[in-house]
Amino acid sequence: MIQHRRIDKKFALVLVFTICFSFVNKIFAQPNGQALFSSNCASCHAVHKNLTGPALAGVEARWGKKENLHAWIKNSSAYLKTGDPYATALYNQYNKTNMPAFTSLTEQDIDAILAYVNSVPAPGTGDSAAGGGASSAATESDNTLLFGILTLILAVIALVLLQVNSNLRKLSAEKEGEHALEPVPFYRNKAYIAVITVVLFCVGGYLTTTGAIGLGRTPDYQPIQPIYYSHKVHAGTNQISCLYCHGGAQEGKHANIPSINVCMNCHMAVNEYTGKDKLYKEDGTEINGTAEIQKLYKYAGYDPSVNKVWTPNNKATPIEWVKIHSLPDHVYFNHSQHVKAGQVACQTCHGEIQKMDEVKQFADLSMGWCINCHRTTKVQFKDNGFYSIYQKFHEDLKNGKIDSAKGITVEKIGGTECQKCHY
Amino acid sequence: MKKLLIISLFSLTAQFVISCSDIKRERGKNYMPDMVDSRAYETYADHSNLTTKGIKYNALPVPGTVQRGEELPYHLPNDSSGYAQSYNLTSPLPKLSASDMVEAERLYIINCGICHGTALDGNGPLYKGGNGPYAAKPATLVGDPNIEALPEGTIFHVQTYGKNLMGSYASQLNRKQRWMVAQYIKSKQGGAKPAGAAATDSTATAAAPAAGGGTGK
Repeated sequence: MIQHRRIDKKFALVLVFTICFSFVNKIFAQPNGQALFSSNCASCHAVHKNLTGPALAGVEARWGKKENLHAWIKNSSAYLKTGDPYATALYNQYNKTNMPAFTSLTEQDIDAILAYVNSVPAPGTGDSAAGGGASSAATESDNTLLFGILTLILAVIALVLLQVNSNLRKLSAEKEGEHALEPVPFYRNKAYIAVITVVLFCVGGYLTTTGAIGLGRTPDYQPIQPIYYSHKVHAGTNQISCLYCHGGAQEGKHANIPSINVCMNCHMAVNEYTGKDKLYKEDGTEINGTAEIQKLYKYAGYDPSVNKVWTPNNKATPIEWVKIHSLPDHVYFNHSQHVKAGQVACQTCHGEIQKMDEVKQFADLSMGWCINCHRTTKVQFKDNGFYSIYQKFHEDLKNGKIDSAKGITVEKIGGTECQKCHY
Repeated sequence: MKKLLIISLFSLTAQFVISCSDIKRERGKNYMPDMVDSRAYETYADHSNLTTKGIKYNALPVPGTVQRGEELPYHLPNDSSGYAQSYNLTSPLPKLSASDMVEAERLYIINCGICHGTALDGNGPLYKGGNGPYAAKPATLVGDPNIEALPEGTIFHVQTYGKNLMGSYASQLNRKQRWMVAQYIKSKQGGAKPAGAAATDSTATAAAPAAGGGTGK
């Protein structure tokens, strides 16, 4: 019993102490300005950038009286009623959006936030010139030109050697006193002519055939777009899902090019390019990412200096992107069939688009290319409601009649029938 | 004379080789363009010359059009009063099944996750704790008592019209999908129930079409 009571006493003592300490802690702990800023202000304010609300750098100087600023932060709509001209102007300038009341913030909290705001250096003054070196554009020339030149040089050397050889033979023949036959120039030499004819026929035939096959196909097509839009920056670096912009790919025939409101979802706030990697066109000219965003604003009819909020009612004009992947009219292709039912990744047909600055056509989109894929691709039967009607295949798979490792190709369910795509 | 010929030939070849770029900026030719180009007006075809041909075609549906199988247009306006009224909206969806919830999560990750984070912590790859390109901190959907207090209807309303720097998602998510995402967000939050569950008559002011949603189907 006594022991028990002692423990109780100790426990009570500890409890009292912890309460005291936590209280003391609360009194003496400095409020963390950065954390408070991040949780309360950062949704609408940045330190050096106007967002939903104005940039906070120099806010104390702008307001002058500290009490007014504090009153404004604690309850802006109440303060607005006092008729302070600066507050009213601010309210009108920022689209008449009320700042929510922050009654939970204490004076110390606000001071801590303001101290944090003052401590943030302006961009460009602090850590500028980060990574000035790495600017070598990937000058990875392919080797075909080199091989071509080498072949040409070798051919010239061979010709020269042949000439030297014949000259030497002529000289030696003359020395021995034999009367050499008058040499036939090589362009009248029948053997030469025959060889050249055959070579020309083969090369010409090959070139004509490949050219004829390639006519109308546009692999590596990489047009200049109205805005330098880098898929590498968006889908690669910033990890935006393909379906965020091209949501139509899972719903219909077209993958859809996003309309301007989709761009403006992010670009109302993202108004400059601050990525580490510099942007280059395919031919090596450098691109100013911020200027490209300004081009978007021009299309969107958005002027951040006039109106903070972009609405679809602003006079937007469509951006006329150049279509790259085009199928002829006599072929039917449906995106959702491949993306949703077939569960094919975008990259299968479009290449590693998240690594392309300027998009180029990856596949040649020929019929042979389609058919080959249909012959080798396995249908995603598992947990796929779309293919549940193929009961026989499901049973055969279950009974082991069809090797489940090999699976069922698209061809087996009619993927190479003419009228699947041509009708 | 011969020298001149050789020099000029050589320089011509050099120029030809240099000007050969492997960047393909032009599309090239087709065998039979009339078999390749659609005679009907396809999506993204040039519609600009229709009026000169005397074709009066407008791609937009008639104002007030309701898609088949779709509910009546969203009746709350995009202003503070609409925002306040959205507190009383109730979801037309039943409680999502497990597979529907997976789909809702997928929609959330595609459309919302880049800003609000796949963990709903307001720290997606675009914000990255302040180091990403997006300057404003996206709302912390799980853990912020102010956000958790919002009922499903308001989450739906904000998805429909956007709020502050967030844009409207009515063109990317249809109405059912937006309710699904709202339910997904609520399910992830600490079990907070919507406060005002008073059923509202969603057909009250059905005449005005959702202007902000625009062409969103």
